[in-house]
Amino acid sequence: MGQRRKKADVSASSEKRASEADTAASNPTASNPTASNPNRKHSICMVSDFFYPNMGGVESHIYQLSQCLIEKGHKVVIATHAYGRRKGVRYLTNGLKVYYLPLQVMYNQSTATTCFHSLPLLRCVFVREAVTVVHAHSSFSAMAHDALFHAKTMGLNTVFTDHSLFGFADMSSVLTNKLLTVSLCDTDHIVCVSYTSKENTVLRATLDPQIVSVIPNAVDPTDFTPDPSQRRGGRITVVVISRLVYRKGIDLLGGIIPELCLKHPDLHFLIGGEGPKRIVLEEVREKYQLHDRVRLLGALEHRDVRGVLVQGHIFLNTSLTEAFCMAIVEGASCGLQVVSTRVGGIPEVLPEDLISLCDPTVRSLCAGLEAVITQLRSGAVPSPADIHARVRSLYTWRNVAGRTEKVYDRVAGEEVLPLDRRLLRLRQHCGSVAGSIFAFVAVLNFLFLLLLQWLVPDQVMDRAVDASGPRALWGPSQRDHPAEEAGAGAPTAE
Amino acid sequence: MDNEKYTDINGKAIALNYQRHSSFCTEFTVSSPKVSIGKVMVATCFVWIFAYAVFFFTDNTAVLSSAIIITLIGMMLYIHFVKIDHESLLVIGSLGIQLSSSYASGREHTSFIEMSKIKDIVINEAIYMHQIIYYLCILLRDPADTSAVSSVVPLFQSSKPRLNCLVKVYKSCQEIISKC
Amino acid sequence: MGPDIAPGPAVPWRKVLWERQPFPDNYVDERFLEELRRNEGIRQYRYWAVVKEAVLVGQQLSCVAIFITLWLYMEQGLLSPEALLWTSLIVGLLGYGLHNALRPQLGSDRKPRTHLADLQSAAIFLSFTFGFSPVLKTLTESVSTDTVYAMSALMLLAHLVSFPYAHPSPTGSLSLNAALFASVCLASRLPGALHTFAMLSCALLMFALWPCLLQSIRDHAPGPSAWLCVGVCLGGVGGLGSRWPGGAVLLALALVSVILLCPLLLVKLQRHKDNIQGPWDEAEIHEDLCKVPY
Repeated sequence: MGQRRKKADVSASSEKRASEADTAASNPTASNPTASNPNRKHSICMVSDFFYPNMGGVESHIYQLSQCLIEKGHKVVIATHAYGRRKGVRYLTNGLKVYYLPLQVMYNQSTATTCFHSLPLLRCVFVREAVTVVHAHSSFSAMAHDALFHAKTMGLNTVFTDHSLFGFADMSSVLTNKLLTVSLCDTDHIVCVSYTSKENTVLRATLDPQIVSVIPNAVDPTDFTPDPSQRRGGRITVVVISRLVYRKGIDLLGGIIPELCLKHPDLHFLIGGEGPKRIVLEEVREKYQLHDRVRLLGALEHRDVRGVLVQGHIFLNTSLTEAFCMAIVEGASCGLQVVSTRVGGIPEVLPEDLISLCDPTVRSLCAGLEAVITQLRSGAVPSPADIHARVRSLYTWRNVAGRTEKVYDRVAGEEVLPLDRRLLRLRQHCGSVAGSIFAFVAVLNFLFLLLLQWLVPDQVMDRAVDASGPRALWGPSQRDHPAEEAGAGAPTAE
Repeated sequence: MDNEKYTDINGKAIALNYQRHSSFCTEFTVSSPKVSIGKVMVATCFVWIFAYAVFFFTDNTAVLSSAIIITLIGMMLYIHFVKIDHESLLVIGSLGIQLSSSYASGREHTSFIEMSKIKDIVINEAIYMHQIIYYLCILLRDPADTSAVSSVVPLFQSSKPRLNCLVKVYKSCQEIISKC
Repeated sequence: MGPDIAPGPAVPWRKVLWERQPFPDNYVDERFLEELRRNEGIRQYRYWAVVKEAVLVGQQLSCVAIFITLWLYMEQGLLSPEALLWTSLIVGLLGYGLHNALRPQLGSDRKPRTHLADLQSAAIFLSFTFGFSPVLKTLTESVSTDTVYAMSALMLLAHLVSFPYAHPSPTGSLSLNAALFASVCLASRLPGALHTFAMLSCALLMFALWPCLLQSIRDHAPGPSAWLCVGVCLGGVGGLGSRWPGGAVLLALALVSVILLCPLLLVKLQRHKDNIQGPWDEAEIHEDLCKVPY
């Protein structure tokens, strides 16, 4: 019943916004309060549980985006939780400052959420770095949601990037979707990585689609260049690079391998990645005696990925769900023919002539692969260099940063609701029960903030020395400020 | 020496004194406020009222006498081991750095670090309780590998001055260290 | 490409990321959410079909009631153990005959159990129960009667909760064990060792063998089996009513709510089902992946 009402809300608000969009179209600056000041520099705090040394799509997204924003002159700091002995304050390339805050990790590298305990430290970060925009990443990260909540309590503008897709069917997704509704109810702008992901997030969090932007992920094209000389002659190699988990469709892969290996004696598989489903592939290899034709490379470092990709002719992706598949772009960038399942946002990622889309069944994937193999044999495929040339300019981090900057410009001009109107909106938006509970939590959070401000007033906190942004003391001019240089440049005590 | 107001990280006023004995010998002293009689009164009253409440319900006079003893011993321990009035840093170029802290009871604790062991003095950031603070620290040279840092000695641990104060001390220290 | 560029009027929007389109990033096309599907593959329940399935739950409830009725009769000395044993034997043989008559019509690719094997297990069970019935009789002597009753009630409830209603044969091990535990508890409060033996045989007939028979009747004649269940329900209410009228009223109410009201609720609430599906859903693997060539 909740979902029915939710859907009705969505369609109603989108209709309303559609009419507004019509009026805005005639006068594009009317809807943009900050259009007058496009060169404004922001002070951005990226918050997520997931950051280096953890490896993954979200982590590299945050890092690359931050680097490009620093290049554009914004100040960027990152807040994440401590990873083992890596805690405190660290600096990465170009003065990217990372706070590894000592928060307890609960499950899967995500911190526990109590809505309160992270407030003192996050407030400290926001105040001393003079943050203007808080940008949280990944809906799996409890710390990101906490940060959104605290930022609103402190009166800061917020942006959230969603990297994943969720279903609506089971009990756990009903609960997480409710939490997401509450968390994103106050968020000024949401960024999704594909149109499918946008539809999904709008439905899950009952959002107005106008405040959701689609900004795809990017890959560094210089990291993924083709090198056909690495291919072994006389054979066709299929490369699969993914974590070996159920969601990546490894069971499908286990069905494809024997079927195609029987039909094509020159076909080889090169599989990179590690995970619980490795056993499936090992069983298949054992059962059909394919040890010389199916190679399992185990976990790969990011820098080794290209070396594996260039050995192949075909890149195969068997994911069962995917918001935006970076792997297929990397594969295409290395000049491989891409075969993938038609799920999630994958059909949006590459033009039709660079990718063969199949249904997520063994039969369909086999047929798709065989069609590509026939093309390869007849030589009717574009050369790797041609494919690379087409893909290299599709997704760049500079473009992502430029579009994200526009989101910040838009958000920075928005008004942060005072507490009373925030509570009202929570009640209206999230239903009377959950809304009231979280309104109560918001009040408690506000009181807690007042207590902290009484214990340590904002004026008493030292403003941090900027390492990036307009007043950065990093880079060529750093010699003029020896004190600050040492302050900013010293390694964290170990 | 100068009229700038300094506070510690919690906003309490502290004083920074520095004496230039010569061009390569300077002593910095950070003094925190003395133990205020008001605070002592409050703490004592609190313990005694609690003790009296316990006495009221238990009718045991031992509670009262033990409260008196606890207050006295606690006070002595506090001024002798916890409360530091002055922390000073004596930098002597080419010789070394002397760190001393004097407790409220008059006890002094002094240590000396030779210049050959010191790699540098820097301002660093750290997470302290629920705050992120700046602190001044001495980097010690690793005897095996001269370019590496073996350990870090934080300075002004008790008074915890704010960044403006640290920068002042830092600049003078760097001036002296760079000369030798 | 930013969020605030005026959309170019001529080019239609496409749902692709690789093309730089003259629309702002937060542009919402009218095709937004067009792939949203709702309530796909939903089952529309018909009231009487659901009732027919729910009767099965009711009859199991009544079975427990009948068992308690028999125990009440035994405990108050109104039913002699010999009579119960003879009745059980006759009913058991009749049921066995019926079961055998229905069995061969099923797909007989597996080797059916021989009558000898059936006889063997029946003999083993009966002799062991008979031999141990004096032990079982005194088993709970040191435990207070209230505890025994509470324990039996709990175990019968566990039996009802864990009973595999969708497919009663074979009976789930938890539900069968719970029922037998309850019957041992109750039987140990009866006056004599023969009573205990009769009660246990009866329990076995009711909780272990009757579901199997019911299943095979259901497989062959779904219509009559529902009426059979209704008969069991009536029998349960009537039997309990003869010893404990209040309990019979409660049982009747429970049966009405389980058989008639709950299905009504299910059918009514089904209208409000609103399931959202779309391209973001995780694809399901339907194929049997073990079935690969060779």
